[in-house]
Amino acid sequence: MIKVDLTKCTGCRRCEVVCAFFHTGRINRQKSRIKVLSLYELGLDGPIVCNQCQERYCMRCPDNAMSLGKDGQVIVSPTVCTLCEICEKLCPIGAIEIHDDIVYVCDLCGGKPKCIEACSEGAIEFNRQNQIRSPSLSEVFKKTKRKNASQKRQSFLKEQGIEIRKKWRARHA
Amino acid sequence: MLKYGYGGRILRINLTERRFRIEELNSSWVKPVIGGRAANTKMLFEELDFKCDPLGPKNILIFGVGPLTGSLLPASAYYTVTARSPMTGILGDSAAGGQFAAEMKATGFDQIVLTGKAKVLSYVLISHQGVQFIECPDLAGTTILETTRSIRTDQKDFAVQVAAIGPAGEHQVHFASIVSSGNRVNGRTGMGAIMGSKNLKAIAVRGILSLEVADPLGFLHEVQKMEKNIRNHPEYQKRYDMGTTMLMSDLNDLGILPTNHFQKGVCDYLEKISGQKLAREYKVKNKSCFNCNLHCSRYYMVENCEAEGPEFETLCGFTSRIGNDDLSFALEMNAYLNQMGMDSISTSEIIGWIMECQEKGLIHPKDLDGLSIKWGEKEKVRQVVEKIVYRSGIGKRLADGAKKVSMDFGLEAQKLVMQVKGLDIICGDPRGIKAYGLTYAVASRGADHLRAEPYFELTNRKEEARKRFGTEKAADRMAEEGKAALVTYSEKLALLTDSLTMCKNIGLCMDVLNFENTGALLHYGVGVDYTPEYLKKILSDSIDLDFKLNRKFGLKKEDDTLPERFREEPLSEGPTKGSTVNIQKMIDEYYALHGWNE
Repeated sequence: MIKVDLTKCTGCRRCEVVCAFFHTGRINRQKSRIKVLSLYELGLDGPIVCNQCQERYCMRCPDNAMSLGKDGQVIVSPTVCTLCEICEKLCPIGAIEIHDDIVYVCDLCGGKPKCIEACSEGAIEFNRQNQIRSPSLSEVFKKTKRKNASQKRQSFLKEQGIEIRKKWRARHA
Repeated sequence: MLKYGYGGRILRINLTERRFRIEELNSSWVKPVIGGRAANTKMLFEELDFKCDPLGPKNILIFGVGPLTGSLLPASAYYTVTARSPMTGILGDSAAGGQFAAEMKATGFDQIVLTGKAKVLSYVLISHQGVQFIECPDLAGTTILETTRSIRTDQKDFAVQVAAIGPAGEHQVHFASIVSSGNRVNGRTGMGAIMGSKNLKAIAVRGILSLEVADPLGFLHEVQKMEKNIRNHPEYQKRYDMGTTMLMSDLNDLGILPTNHFQKGVCDYLEKISGQKLAREYKVKNKSCFNCNLHCSRYYMVENCEAEGPEFETLCGFTSRIGNDDLSFALEMNAYLNQMGMDSISTSEIIGWIMECQEKGLIHPKDLDGLSIKWGEKEKVRQVVEKIVYRSGIGKRLADGAKKVSMDFGLEAQKLVMQVKGLDIICGDPRGIKAYGLTYAVASRGADHLRAEPYFELTNRKEEARKRFGTEKAADRMAEEGKAALVTYSEKLALLTDSLTMCKNIGLCMDVLNFENTGALLHYGVGVDYTPEYLKKILSDSIDLDFKLNRKFGLKKEDDTLPERFREEPLSEGPTKGSTVNIQKMIDEYYALHGWNE
């Protein structure tokens, strides 16, 4: 999975840019599987990407269009998928989003994620499955149930940033 | 034709009638201007009523991006805002980085052109489909961050980017700014006042369109070369650590750091206000514009506030320029001015000017509503700035800018305003950087360094100077020889950078952009061939157009000059001691190189 260190993210969006570019040849946030959000009032920037959570909410796909790759990445079958949007609704952090009839979720570029190469700040790190314990998102799930994908990303980033901000503030009190 | 790079459309918004129209971007119209600043100026020249009131509904406010903005190109993150300036009455424009430009590009509009005036305070929400007009009287008086958060929350979309004005813009302070991405400022020439005059609180953009280039692999290859040049640049680490605030100690070492309103070029408390100190004690992390691999911006925290920045101009403007040795006060002012939407250069000039005039007994407190202010009096600076933002008390007059205010006082006080054509001079004493002096004097938006950014004269590259400009002196900061040639060369590169809407620190100061690699970028990016010769020709034509436009506004050759201090008063100490600027000679050479007469 891709692990994010919010203290290091500068909000440059290079991960987001290369993700769309290497998958589609275009630049378009909607076509990116890692989306960077900047909450200017909190000084927080961070990419939101599939956390490969313990609960695997997206696997509840009613059409069984989802499967898992060897590194734990989500693989969507475009022929089975009926664009019912349930995966987008279930993902607690907004890491799955549908655009132009395609489900965008991190596929780890098949095992060599381009975003990791693009980040010169060390804000994202790739760990193959079983090197790191998957996080549980059940608490987040309860809080973000009725939100859209963008709102969920905002809420998740804000939550993750609270502790970091406390540390920053303590240093500058 | 414009399938690649460009969004290919222009959005025209009439705020009075709450109507919009979408036009195709004509490829033969845009080819000789590329985009960004040059395209905006061309449109202003073709469409503006030159007699219009800058703060009236007829003024045209143009937001422009370039063909490679928001692409893989590093630091292609800028947008330029252009209109007739309320500060100077001539061509006004200002660029800013951050995230707004890339999002605007994704709406498919290369230019957004606003005219008229909304009946009540409103914002426009722009998507690829066009415009929603949204009245927002409840946002009156709010800061940039409050406005941004409010719009994003209302739209339930946190990818929305907002360029807004603060209270200063609403009160039409002549040097009000537009601010996007929370702290990214279109500071100069009062573009925020124009938004205020149009009752336009904010422009919000949200795009979902793709940017495609003609040859993705060829483009990627060019971009990778450029990224390597940035990463391997000898100044990379210094710029990463401090951004432009590195200039505090650099300029002080050269004896050109404005101190006590340009009375001195050396500051004896430099270590208390330096970029090094800022990075060490207040920075919490680096920040970046869209798709940049330099990350030279910074987020800082001080006891009572936090913000992104500051850039060198704000830091110097609120420390040595006004005789203040408290760095944290400058950081507080940076956050305050960004959120109120007011330009730090013009604000610090008016404060420094009053301080010096009062020190010399040229302005009596009773003529300034009782205001008496001395070097570094922080609490009073705070109070004056707040009065300007809200145009209250003495702020009502001061909000028109130092030059206009000075007209109420004697000639000696007028001479002490450090401005050209009504725009205040940046923090860099031209007596020790002569090419910059020439740039301040001739720049088409008034005293400004970014029109040419002749950083080359500080790089000591003698051999390169001989090759490019025919004399080694072009690389000697104290010399006047060869500087007209240097400025006519680098003003083309500056315009090129602005037209691609790239960052000047990278494009120019780090010498990353040149006519050859731009040709390649445009070839792979847009699919149109630009030879270096053709690029130089069209850039020269665009610079001529700036000149013609300003002649329409009544400007004359005499307006190209520097304040008397820089021409006649030598600095009394430090590495630039004894030097003045023989500006007329350089201006004459500059005019001759352009083939301009008067």
